[in-house]
Amino acid sequence: MSEPVDAMLDDLTTEAAVLRVYRQAFAVLARESGAMILDVDLIDVDEAILEAFAEAGSDGMTAAEVVVACHRFDPRVVERRLGVLRDYRAVSKLVDRPNEQHYRAAFAPYIMVLFLRRLAERGGQSELHQLLTLEQLNVSHQDAAESDGQASVNRLTKVFRLLANELTSLVQRGAAEALRENAQLLWGNRPLIVQAEEVHGIVLQRWPALGPQCAALRISLAAYGDAIEAAAGRLIEQAGATRALGFLPAETWISFARRSDTGTLAAVLDTFVFDAPAPWLSPQALAEAVESARPSGGPRFRPPRSDDGPDLAGPDLVPADDTAELRAAAEQLLGERSSVTVAELLDEAGDWPTGRRLVGQMIAIHHHPDLGFELRWGNGLRIDAESFPSWVSAGRFERLTGASR
Amino acid sequence: MNQTETALWWARTRAAGPQRIPPGGPAPAGMLRLPEPDGSGAWLLPVFPDSASAAVLDELGLPGHVLEHPNDSARVLAACVRCCWADPAGPLWPGVAAAWEQVAAAFGAIVHREEAVSHRALLAGVRRLARSGWLLWDEGAPMIRLGPRVAAWNAAQLSTLRELYRSMPPVGGDAARTPA
Repeated sequence: MSEPVDAMLDDLTTEAAVLRVYRQAFAVLARESGAMILDVDLIDVDEAILEAFAEAGSDGMTAAEVVVACHRFDPRVVERRLGVLRDYRAVSKLVDRPNEQHYRAAFAPYIMVLFLRRLAERGGQSELHQLLTLEQLNVSHQDAAESDGQASVNRLTKVFRLLANELTSLVQRGAAEALRENAQLLWGNRPLIVQAEEVHGIVLQRWPALGPQCAALRISLAAYGDAIEAAAGRLIEQAGATRALGFLPAETWISFARRSDTGTLAAVLDTFVFDAPAPWLSPQALAEAVESARPSGGPRFRPPRSDDGPDLAGPDLVPADDTAELRAAAEQLLGERSSVTVAELLDEAGDWPTGRRLVGQMIAIHHHPDLGFELRWGNGLRIDAESFPSWVSAGRFERLTGASR
Repeated sequence: MNQTETALWWARTRAAGPQRIPPGGPAPAGMLRLPEPDGSGAWLLPVFPDSASAAVLDELGLPGHVLEHPNDSARVLAACVRCCWADPAGPLWPGVAAAWEQVAAAFGAIVHREEAVSHRALLAGVRRLARSGWLLWDEGAPMIRLGPRVAAWNAAQLSTLRELYRSMPPVGGDAARTPA
């Protein structure tokens, strides 16, 4: 038994996976803990021993003959293995008497070895498929009784519960690496569930009384489905955006980078050609870049706003002081008189441009708060179509008594 | 010069930019041989037909490979063209060497920035352009020259460049120019 010193990491993990399956399978057979095989090669020894017995025929073999037949392996290991097989009655004396030297082998251990090999290679999926097919045949058989259906459904329920439990606990508590190693639990799950559902359908159709058991099977199937979803989600999450589940974990890369020498590190890039296209600058781009850097025009002012008022209120809005002007105009209109009719004034004016200016002046004087003159309109109308003005309302322009404030 | 060697030279220029060869070196097919003015060597520059050059990407509206800070890089190159183009009526290559201060002044006239900011942008731009073969400049050197890549601009592009040259303010210190 050579120590696997030179074994690559991949080989080690593969062996570990195979061994794990063997240990799991043998767990139900082991007499006590610690008596389990600890090396995957021991299975090869077992197989070689059993093959030797098969060759030997009905006369059996002595222990020495077995060791010779298995000359590929270390004699001590073969002897020890033979002892273990003898203890488990896989190999027994040809005739049960004290000094019997010849042994014969039972056929069951070899079947077990074959089964284990298959289980290790296929992850037990095909066995599960065959189991499901058998269950389907059983429950479909015309002689099958209700108890057969019940037993079948119960078995399937247990299988899928165990599968789901293992997956779920891995998803919830295990490391992502452990989950990846056990990925065989995830393989081909859809056909498994479909097959199980077919069995379930047949049972439920033939024996409606098994409803509760069928419900349990449905629940365990759903749990398995959920566990698969969760495990796949975990794996994808762990793989990152690349979705490359085959990638090595980050720690492996880091330790590779730390422990490798320059040559090894450089060798990684041996097959790569760096072929970056050169950056290109066109004169058009140059012109645009220069143009866009130019400051646009002079400083900019904000547009005026409605609340900018106070600045403009100054001189423009001071009331025009036309008091003196209007007073002079009023004195000119009245002359020595204290009161004059509008008609008289218009007659004096002679034409409409002058007359309307006079009317405007009188209205302005009337409304001026500081001047003591008044324009008072009354009833009546003077009409004379031939002369100017052709009609005039009765009205008086007069000096207020006690005015001239 | 057989086919394999030609292919190798093309691969070299593709991966590492224009290649400098000693005088009398090889002249691979399809490459422009740009002799240095002083005859100390020559540059090999791949020449693509117009239907296969980077300008096609522009026409198709596809993003090409641009430098970081493309606008500042382009302005730096424009400033260098303004300073290094000896005679705008003639070809751009080889041009003349321009003093760093001259280029800095031309760049400052384009960007109107604070001097420290402008200097930083100029230095970064010159480094980027020198690395990709658009300028010839050694780290810390006082003079800048146009790189061999500018010889790849065709006649139409040169006329665009001439207009740009004229539109940019003249840079003082023409006397400081020395033939490269």
